[in-house]
Amino acid sequence: MNKKKKALSTIQPYFWLLPSVLLMITMILIPIISVFKISFSEVGRSGLVKGFNGIQNYLDVFNEPAFWTTLKNTFVWTIAVVGLSTVIGFILAMVLNQEFFGRKIVRAIVIFPWATALIIQSVIWKYIVNADYGSLNVLLKKLGIIDSFVNWTGTAQTMFAWECWVGIFVTFPFVTFCVLSGLQSIDTALYESASVDGAGFWSKLFKITLPLVRPSLTVSTVLNIIYVFNSFPIVWTISKGAPADQTHTLVTYLYKFSFSDGKSGQAAAVSVIGFVILAILASIYMFMSLRGEGEE
Amino acid sequence: MNKGGKNMKKLLSMLLVISMTATMLIGCGGSKSDSEGGSAEGEKVTLDIIISQYGNYTQEWWKEFESNFEAANEDIDLNIEIVSWNDIYTVVNTRISTNEQPDILNISGFADYVADDLLMPAEEYVSDELQANFVPSFWESNEIDGTVWALPILASCRALFCNMDLLNGAGIDAAPTTWDEVLTACQAIKDTYGDEIVPWGLDISTDEGQAAFAYYTWNFGGGFVDENGDWALNSAENVQAVEFIKTLIDSGYCNSAPFTDTRYPLQDAFSAGTLAMMIGPMNMVSSDSTVNYEAADLPGEQVALGVCDQLMVFKDEEAGDARTAAITKFFDAFYEVETYSDYMVYEGFLPATQDASDNLAKNAEKYIVGGTEDVTGNSEYFATFCAVLPNCQFYPMQKAEWMDVRNGVIDVEQQVCSGTTDAQSALDKLQSEVAE
Repeated sequence: MNKKKKALSTIQPYFWLLPSVLLMITMILIPIISVFKISFSEVGRSGLVKGFNGIQNYLDVFNEPAFWTTLKNTFVWTIAVVGLSTVIGFILAMVLNQEFFGRKIVRAIVIFPWATALIIQSVIWKYIVNADYGSLNVLLKKLGIIDSFVNWTGTAQTMFAWECWVGIFVTFPFVTFCVLSGLQSIDTALYESASVDGAGFWSKLFKITLPLVRPSLTVSTVLNIIYVFNSFPIVWTISKGAPADQTHTLVTYLYKFSFSDGKSGQAAAVSVIGFVILAILASIYMFMSLRGEGEE
Repeated sequence: MNKGGKNMKKLLSMLLVISMTATMLIGCGGSKSDSEGGSAEGEKVTLDIIISQYGNYTQEWWKEFESNFEAANEDIDLNIEIVSWNDIYTVVNTRISTNEQPDILNISGFADYVADDLLMPAEEYVSDELQANFVPSFWESNEIDGTVWALPILASCRALFCNMDLLNGAGIDAAPTTWDEVLTACQAIKDTYGDEIVPWGLDISTDEGQAAFAYYTWNFGGGFVDENGDWALNSAENVQAVEFIKTLIDSGYCNSAPFTDTRYPLQDAFSAGTLAMMIGPMNMVSSDSTVNYEAADLPGEQVALGVCDQLMVFKDEEAGDARTAAITKFFDAFYEVETYSDYMVYEGFLPATQDASDNLAKNAEKYIVGGTEDVTGNSEYFATFCAVLPNCQFYPMQKAEWMDVRNGVIDVEQQVCSGTTDAQSALDKLQSEVAE
């Protein structure tokens, strides 16, 4: 009887896990395997898989000059958006951690850019910076700052810079709230005793605040690297990679490959490349941060 | 008792989990057999049909068609799905890759499906009467190597739209007829209205940049192919045309974001009176617009772009003659003069059959525009555009490389206009890639 019970309790957790495992297999694992398989297959424009073609799709992708521009853009995009969002988010969290009148309202407002759908944010910003009818030009002209309308997105570089700004705008609130949760868990007695010992603002920041919010920062940075690297709506809504594929990131580039150009094989190859890069980046960061925590 | 109750709870919850999992598996297994279209179930034939969404009311029209057709043909069950243009290629490709292609598809372009041997030749399912009824140039435009693979569902042609009040206000009396006159008119509008009015609407986005390439190259005397039908993308005329597009942008005559602006916001701007001139489809001005406009021939060679979408039938080796017979009945019913004329007015397009062209040139007022209760078609409008249509030029969609060329010319326009390269080098490179 007892043995039976023991056996039941050993098996039981697996039964509970079964639905999640099945969902993960059908929704995550099978598509991943399928993408790997397609990346090594010849696929017709109508979507018909015609058979194994080795690494031809990868070679085709590497021979496209636009791929290398896209790869560079993806790194610039990820580093700029995650880096600047983290800096802005951290500073804002420090401010919001202070006692001041209307703090709750400010906290509520800060969450808006993150809570609004990315597609809505992107469309709004697209209209704000439009040179013909955008509100930015109208506002600046009414204020007398400009004489005639300025084309804010006239070149690939300016277009991409605006996209990065939108990325930062929608990402920093997440960092703010992650850091804020870390800040609130720090015992104020630590700051008080540091003050007694004569520590200034900077030394408290580097010796107490940063080490203690490091777990929160790790979480927000790793999640942001994944989200931002994979972010599709901002770039696609604002520029669709134009002009001439100069503002793509890997995700929009592979989407264009697959759904505009009908080259699913090459799109799958780009997808696998992105997957590998992301896996390496996330592993390095996790390894470094876990090692850091271990040392402490 | 308490222990027994707990065990019972555990047992029940485990059974629940198992049954949920099993249901999911059954669900996965069941979906395939449900979605098999075109198969004969006893006497009844089911046709899976995908129709492109041409307007906000496309669904309603097809719903009514479906019920009328099924009432008249009790042995045929239509399963009509309306899919937006944004999604249709993804939907169709996914269905083909999972071997669940529809029986009948309405889309633009068919060469890729022919290349993969997925389509039935049109003559196998089109009745002789219907074949004779198509406008010959439309019927032939769907031919590859002597076989017609698709049927023209509807057509549209493009014209130069000019806001005459704005042009007159800038001292221009008539719509420009040459490219030099276009530049003169744009400069006059810019000088007169400054930032308030955009002189020339340009869309070289990935959405329809190939249309711009057609407008300018054809009307500079070039085009996609030469007189033998071979790709001739780097002709001197094409280089001149692409350079002209760059001149329009560099002179500040165009909307500020021609790389990303599709024609839809441009059409809205034209209808609102803030854009003076643009090339667009004949139904582009919104019905509530008060703009005093003129639809003129394109400047230069005066060649208009005709756009013609298709209906095609996918092969189904397992299905028998009953499926083919049902498809023939479907097309006969759809292209029946009254039904087809009604659909053309409803969606605002031009017909591809001769009897509907004749009918609409006289009786368009009999039919109602989709989404309205009392706005009828205009016979004069149909008479004018139906007469123009056979002389329009079409994209060389029947060529297998068309999609590469389509995307390639958009890249060329964007590269040249953003200053990345010059027109001659970009077109030479594209020509060599396509000719490989």
